[in-house]
Amino acid sequence: MHFNWDLVINSFPLLLVGAGVTVKITAMSVALGVIIGMFVGIARICHVKPLRFLAAVYVDFFRGTPLLVQIFLVYFALPVITGQRVDPYVAAVGACGINSGAYVAEIFRAGIQSIDEGQMEAGRSLGMTWVQTMRYIIIPQAFKRVIPPLGNEFIALLKDSSLVSVIGFEELTRRGQLIIAKTYGSLEIWMSVAIIYLVMTLTISRFVAYLEWRFKTDDRH
Amino acid sequence: MIDIEKLHKSFGKNEVLKGIDLHIAEKEVVAIIGPSGSGKSTLLRCMNYLERPTSGVISVDGITLTGEANINKVREEVGMVFQRFNLFPHMTVLRNIMLAPMKVRHVAEAEAEQTARKLLARVGLAEKADAYPHQLSGGQQQRVAIARALAMKPKVMLFDEPTSALDPEMVGEVLDVMRQLAEEGMTMVVVTHEMGFAREVSDRVLFVDDGQILEQGKPEEVFEHPKEERTKSFLSKVL
Repeated sequence: MHFNWDLVINSFPLLLVGAGVTVKITAMSVALGVIIGMFVGIARICHVKPLRFLAAVYVDFFRGTPLLVQIFLVYFALPVITGQRVDPYVAAVGACGINSGAYVAEIFRAGIQSIDEGQMEAGRSLGMTWVQTMRYIIIPQAFKRVIPPLGNEFIALLKDSSLVSVIGFEELTRRGQLIIAKTYGSLEIWMSVAIIYLVMTLTISRFVAYLEWRFKTDDRH
Repeated sequence: MIDIEKLHKSFGKNEVLKGIDLHIAEKEVVAIIGPSGSGKSTLLRCMNYLERPTSGVISVDGITLTGEANINKVREEVGMVFQRFNLFPHMTVLRNIMLAPMKVRHVAEAEAEQTARKLLARVGLAEKADAYPHQLSGGQQQRVAIARALAMKPKVMLFDEPTSALDPEMVGEVLDVMRQLAEEGMTMVVVTHEMGFAREVSDRVLFVDDGQILEQGKPEEVFEHPKEERTKSFLSKVL
């Protein structure tokens, strides 16, 4: 077996460009996922039955079908209905964000439900509405508790973003495939790709650990 | 101030309140005593609709409680203090007190802060304004909770076993604040196991058992000359 270090070194800049794209779509998807997840998560526990039902359907559907299939649905199936081509970037971020939203919704729901009921009662007894109590009292506390599971979700999403390579989107995995197609350096390139992913996920997990430590201060009862 | 007619409350098949009629006058201090599970906390929690009555009519300050429509309006006028304080752990003591006046009454921040500091001084905790709840003892937390409720300038204060979660040596400081409040003419309804407080401070004592008001009257009547057997046997155990 021969390990071609030159190939690794020469391919590295191109792979890094791909990694940059991976980070970018992950960040956008995370932002989309958190926004969706927050609203869907709250809808899951609100008093309005139809909203609760719709939120449950959302979570069930996007958690219960593969992300790969969802990417195909957005990129290939949606244009059949609308008659318009979907930009791969929009498809990638859209599919990942909507998918992640379902998981984040469950994280938020659990986080909110973990807050002592007395907090809601105290807020309501002061004349605040349900929405005000959620906004000023429950969600700020829930946020601290959901940091660790959200961190896991972000790491999962960063790795799952490799799936958008199937629609030709040139993120890290796709870049690797393209380089291998030209050079046949499967071993060198896949090793490099794996290590770059690892560095990125480790960075996120360190950052999450920092956030956890940072927010721990004033949350004891 | 509070009018309750034919109040019933069931949790599933379990009927907790079995027809309560109660009128509480302005500036009256009413102590509700009774064994655990008698429904006394539920009765109190119905007064600001934290529990929805199964049937019956509740009016506070002339407003009949009907549900979401006017519930927040009534709650603005009815302060509540909980057994387990329920302070907001992510906010300083000062912010705990300022939040509701600012968000509900739309009081300006500077004014809210001024009121909050005054109230903290009143409950003897002026120097704790910037502390977080977890840095305070139970008694201090409960006094902050009282200040927080008072910040809304309520017409009635409800106390749900306010000293039951406290270490014995901290009970006094909370009762002192409540006693002072009663002297200032606040209308108060207090669910309590503190018989001494009920006897000294209240104008009227209600003995609740099995979802009904079994006996009521001036504290000396109820404590010295209870009419009902149940009241006698309860008092003999707790006094």
